[in-house]
Amino acid sequence: MQILRKTSLKALEVAKKLGPEATINLIKEKGLTGRGGAGFPAGLKWEMVRQVQADEKYIICNADEGEPGTFKDRFIIENNPETLVEGILIAAYAVGAKKAYIYLRGEYECLKESLQKAVNKVKRNSKSDLDIEIFLGAGAYVCGDETAVISSIEGLRGQPRSKPPFPTTNGLFGKPTAINNVETLANAPLAIMFNDWNDNLRLHCISGDVQRPGIYELPMGMELSVILNLACPKNPPKAVYFGCFGGCIPYEGHESLRLTKENICGEGCLLGACSMIVVDETRNIVDISTNIAKFYEFESCGKCTPCREGTMRVLALLQNISMGTAKMDDIETLQELAEVIRDTSFCGLGQTATHHIINGLEYFRNEFEERLISAKKKKGRKAKGKR
Amino acid sequence: MKAKVDGKDFEFDAGKSILVNLEANGIKVPHVCYQEGLEPEARCRLCLVEIGGQLVASCSTYPKEGMAITTRSERVNRARLVNAELLMSEHVRTCFIQNKEHELCRIIEDLGLEKIRFDPTKKYKVDLGASVVRDDNKCINCGRCTAVCAKVQATYAIDFAERGHREHVTPYSEHNLPEIACTKCGQCIAACPVGAISEREHMAEVINVLKDKRKHVIVQTAPSIRASIGEEFGMPPGSLVKGKMVAALRRCGFDKVFDTNLGADITIMEEASEFLERAKKGGPFPMVTTCCPAWIKFMEHFHHELIPNMSTCKSPHEMLGVLAREYYAPNEGIKKKDVVVVSIMPCTAKKFESTRPELKSGVDYVLTTREAAELIKHFGIEFKSLPDEDFDPALGISTGAGAIFGATGGVMEAALRTAYEFGTGSTLTKIEFDQLRGMEGIKEGSIIIGGKEIRFAAANGLRNAARLLKNKNKYHFIEIMACPGGCIGGGGQPLPVSREILQKRISAIYDEDSKLPLRKSHENPVVKKIYAECLGKPLSKKAEECLHTRYFKREPF
Repeated sequence: MQILRKTSLKALEVAKKLGPEATINLIKEKGLTGRGGAGFPAGLKWEMVRQVQADEKYIICNADEGEPGTFKDRFIIENNPETLVEGILIAAYAVGAKKAYIYLRGEYECLKESLQKAVNKVKRNSKSDLDIEIFLGAGAYVCGDETAVISSIEGLRGQPRSKPPFPTTNGLFGKPTAINNVETLANAPLAIMFNDWNDNLRLHCISGDVQRPGIYELPMGMELSVILNLACPKNPPKAVYFGCFGGCIPYEGHESLRLTKENICGEGCLLGACSMIVVDETRNIVDISTNIAKFYEFESCGKCTPCREGTMRVLALLQNISMGTAKMDDIETLQELAEVIRDTSFCGLGQTATHHIINGLEYFRNEFEERLISAKKKKGRKAKGKR
Repeated sequence: MKAKVDGKDFEFDAGKSILVNLEANGIKVPHVCYQEGLEPEARCRLCLVEIGGQLVASCSTYPKEGMAITTRSERVNRARLVNAELLMSEHVRTCFIQNKEHELCRIIEDLGLEKIRFDPTKKYKVDLGASVVRDDNKCINCGRCTAVCAKVQATYAIDFAERGHREHVTPYSEHNLPEIACTKCGQCIAACPVGAISEREHMAEVINVLKDKRKHVIVQTAPSIRASIGEEFGMPPGSLVKGKMVAALRRCGFDKVFDTNLGADITIMEEASEFLERAKKGGPFPMVTTCCPAWIKFMEHFHHELIPNMSTCKSPHEMLGVLAREYYAPNEGIKKKDVVVVSIMPCTAKKFESTRPELKSGVDYVLTTREAAELIKHFGIEFKSLPDEDFDPALGISTGAGAIFGATGGVMEAALRTAYEFGTGSTLTKIEFDQLRGMEGIKEGSIIIGGKEIRFAAANGLRNAARLLKNKNKYHFIEIMACPGGCIGGGGQPLPVSREILQKRISAIYDEDSKLPLRKSHENPVVKKIYAECLGKPLSKKAEECLHTRYFKREPF
């Protein structure tokens, strides 16, 4: 795998020989794009931070991998932490930062010790004086948002902030800050070192109803059926969820869809960090949606109205549908709520919290209606039996 | 900068948010969480507009040249309605159906929301304080109270806890308000659009005591009430309604209607003398005023190093309360135990103040301006058509110096008028201190008294106060008022408030001052009489006993 190649601090040496500006240019030429989901060019981000005049600048390595069905950062931290740390050193050198934070997801506490060892080792071998602090999150999904990461490290409530100002100018403690995903930073030394490095190779996390779940390093743009066949589905797949936030598409009719950001967007979904949860005929979409809705109801930070109140009401509506206590027009209510939450929420969490419902209702509306009707019948029978 | 709003061209200010620009151009946009003068929180998501196919919160979005903004479309309306419905879903339902007194309910009415599809789920205990009552069951998490508490008052008494739908406003570490470092200023009440935070009401107690024929019930009104209470009866902000207010209170059944402005005059006599005394002794400086009970509480929690600097004067209504018992009652042959003193104050902190044990308070009940208006309405009095009446003269004659206590900088100005004449023995020709007037957070100036330069400053808003105190050694005399604009912006004043309304109330107060025949506290004949018959002279033993108090160090949490 490309991501497991070692650079053994040679990339840092190259960068130091080149100087900061040339390093940034090299990264730009190689075309390293952000792996967190938004796909912002890493070189451009570094350049923006470098160009701001400030007495202090920061690098944040975003390892708050909270997305259900995503586990690629963990894979990198477990299997190639030295290259990741080298990437942090290169980024700090390029933007002129003296301090870097690794914002590690609270649930990944088990990785902290080994990561700390890798940090110590790389720092010792490179004689770098960069201060790298591993900052353990407290377990909030929303802290994957770059402004919420900043709030969290500053000791405030982990809630997103308005942009602009952007972190590149007013980031951590008000100073210019470059926030990069683990996979992005781990790729930086590789991009510098190897001529055959390919930006198009991404880590795909495949899980769900498959016999071989796990990490697959694949080029972007492969056909959906080819990818899924690698993971050996247990039964014919019904739908594919792109993480929790990305929404879903039915497998039928999309077998030959090529997996690129644009194609997935075209289907009303978000590809994000290339995670796929495969769902087959043994599952009901209402159950899956209820499960995802529970996740968002729990993880909403509470800042904005649609996400705070809406995610709770969406969950309640879904539960009512399954219990047969909902009215038939509650499915319309569900759709309306889902759309308003997507359109008006403050940050990415709320804006993507209801993709699964919007897509679910688009492709599998019959499952929602059938569930409601059968639950109502069941309830009616129970009530009769009691009488 | 040009912008297109719903197809029409408008001139926009690039430095201001789209919301502010739209409102400046007369285009109404519903919003709850945005507050004038504070950073937008962008939480409520009601001020949505459509730009380039995207719905954005106009409070936190800035205009660009030639931007096309849609404020009225099916999509915008639906999104606003759904978010309003979600906001309202956790607010008490009776409010939606019956009254429209809350800001949110009025917004909902304008939006035309007819039905709420979701039932409330919250069950919180009501947090009952001596001054401020919080009912989280009404709260809609707009964040206005927490923003004011942190950004304007620098007190950080309340903030959000937990996340998602469980998020709620709470005092420090889920304690109740009486247990924590809260100044009771009541600015959170003024900020709340749904009445989830309100004053602890004492109206029922006052109505009861008014029914009791054996009691001699005295009411006094603070300097700022006459400039604001008219708003509660539909009069424009800045209406000076002294005469009607007195007439209305008399009709409520109070035996005597006295003027706290007289208490203010006595405060000035004591405070000016105390200042000159310190000038003689060489300190401690700066001397800091103590009329504002929220500031006192703030100081005790966060700046107790200032305790030696504080003036020891009680606040004006406490002084008048004591005098009503010690001076007025014996003169009139009324038993002290039958006297009940009710203060009508613009302030919620005064409610807490009257429960302080060390004060041995002269005041039994404190009503806010809003409660007083409610009391008048309770008795079915037609406020607007009342004739003008005067305060009862026994404790009802006051000067312009007392009148301006209601505005920020007023106490300082009044004190300087008297201190100058006491200190120099000559007459002050220009008695208006313009450098102390206006709404700025911190104002300063200097005056020569007896060959010495006296530097003074006034701050309003506790964050400004904290800022001023960083340079406290520059000054000899500091006035601090906790609420923006001084007492006219108090936590008990009519709602809603805005900078413009505060400005109008301030003008009304200075207007009253300029029209009064007497404008210096020491010229007040009643003050002279009280000192002659009862207190002796300022800072005498009797005066110390009746009119001065002490302060205590409190924990910062």
